[in-house]
Amino acid sequence: MNIKTLTVNAIIAAAYVALSLIAAPIAFSNIQFRIPEIFNHLVIFNTKYFYGIVLGVFLTNLFSPTGMYDLTFGVAHSVLSLGFVIFLAIFIKHRLTLLVINTIVFSFNMFIIAFQLYMAADLPFLLTWLTTAVGEFGIMAIGIPVMIMLNKKLNFNELMEK
Amino acid sequence: MNNALIIGQYVPGESLVHRLDPRTKITVIFFFVFIVFLANSVVSYSVLVIFALLSMFITRIPIRFILKGLTPVWFLIVFTFILHLIVTNKGTVLMDLFGFSIYSGALIQGFAISIRFFLLILVTSLLTLTTTPIEITDAIEDMLHPLKKLRFPVHELALMMSISLRFIPTLMQETDKISKAQASRGVDFRTGPLKERIRAVVPLLVPLFVSAFKRAEELAMAMEARGYQGGEGRTKLRELKLRKRDVMILLLFIAVVAVLLVTRNY
Repeated sequence: MNIKTLTVNAIIAAAYVALSLIAAPIAFSNIQFRIPEIFNHLVIFNTKYFYGIVLGVFLTNLFSPTGMYDLTFGVAHSVLSLGFVIFLAIFIKHRLTLLVINTIVFSFNMFIIAFQLYMAADLPFLLTWLTTAVGEFGIMAIGIPVMIMLNKKLNFNELMEK
Repeated sequence: MNNALIIGQYVPGESLVHRLDPRTKITVIFFFVFIVFLANSVVSYSVLVIFALLSMFITRIPIRFILKGLTPVWFLIVFTFILHLIVTNKGTVLMDLFGFSIYSGALIQGFAISIRFFLLILVTSLLTLTTTPIEITDAIEDMLHPLKKLRFPVHELALMMSISLRFIPTLMQETDKISKAQASRGVDFRTGPLKERIRAVVPLLVPLFVSAFKRAEELAMAMEARGYQGGEGRTKLRELKLRKRDVMILLLFIAVVAVLLVTRNY
């Protein structure tokens, strides 16, 4: 891993944590839109952002009161989703398609979080899956145009590789 | 804002739990999360509750503080309890409430699951309450060491984590500054319809990304200029060392697991 990859990912993770600690989730009844989830799209622009995103999730959960239990499942959710999308990106090159796939994969995989809540608190699995997935889908769908716009200004791929 | 800047849950202290090797704490808590699900009787639950409360008292962190940290989960615990009261219909009917029958089985199950959830949250939060994030980083680097053979970048990840921890307060201040600057230009983050509030995020993200990347670039340049090389042969400022107390705690925990296994079904 070169130094640039290392520092960029470290700072991206820090930005992820900072945003999730400062910008309270926009809640809409019991569906939550967590703004830093938009960062998940970074992996489409350059797969090296994988580390930063996972680390962001890890550190955010480290600071959350629910602690290590959340952490294991939260990290598993990100690693599996990102890994699957990175694998698909080998075959699919169209960026918008990948952004949509990324949104769907992350939302679908919320069953991991739902399973965690089902195990710990015995919350109804399907209902929890539905509400968490809707929140995730909402914020990541909104994230697509936002990230495309940001990429036009910043060029995420070049920022990582330059 | 000032309070929010103290990130994490860490409460400084000199207690036995504080002084334990972070690897010991992570190991115990990791296995605790699994054994919680083994408890299935009054006695076995009591064993776990005693263990958790004892650990909590040893940390000498004010109980008020711990309970305050659990505020966001109280709601979930109460919600779970009520949900079970309504949904479960095992045992005998205890009373009728607004057309719902409350069963004895529901009461027991509701209690058991609420206690289990409470135990999970309490014990796992003890780690972050008594261990600095940097200690956790060191412990993770050490525990993931075997993965190095699989060419997993353990050292790089640990360094990434340390850098990240260092920059979280900086970027929080930055985010706060940007959102205030944008608010003074009329961006409304807190009120208005959902669509407007989400749109308000964009003028926050652009400057945040720009400054974040600038910092990363400067840092990379500074590290390269100093000839940074990670991995093999690098010495450490903080060395982890297992002491007698760590072995004692691990043995005590094994004893707790043994008692739990024996008292199951009682």
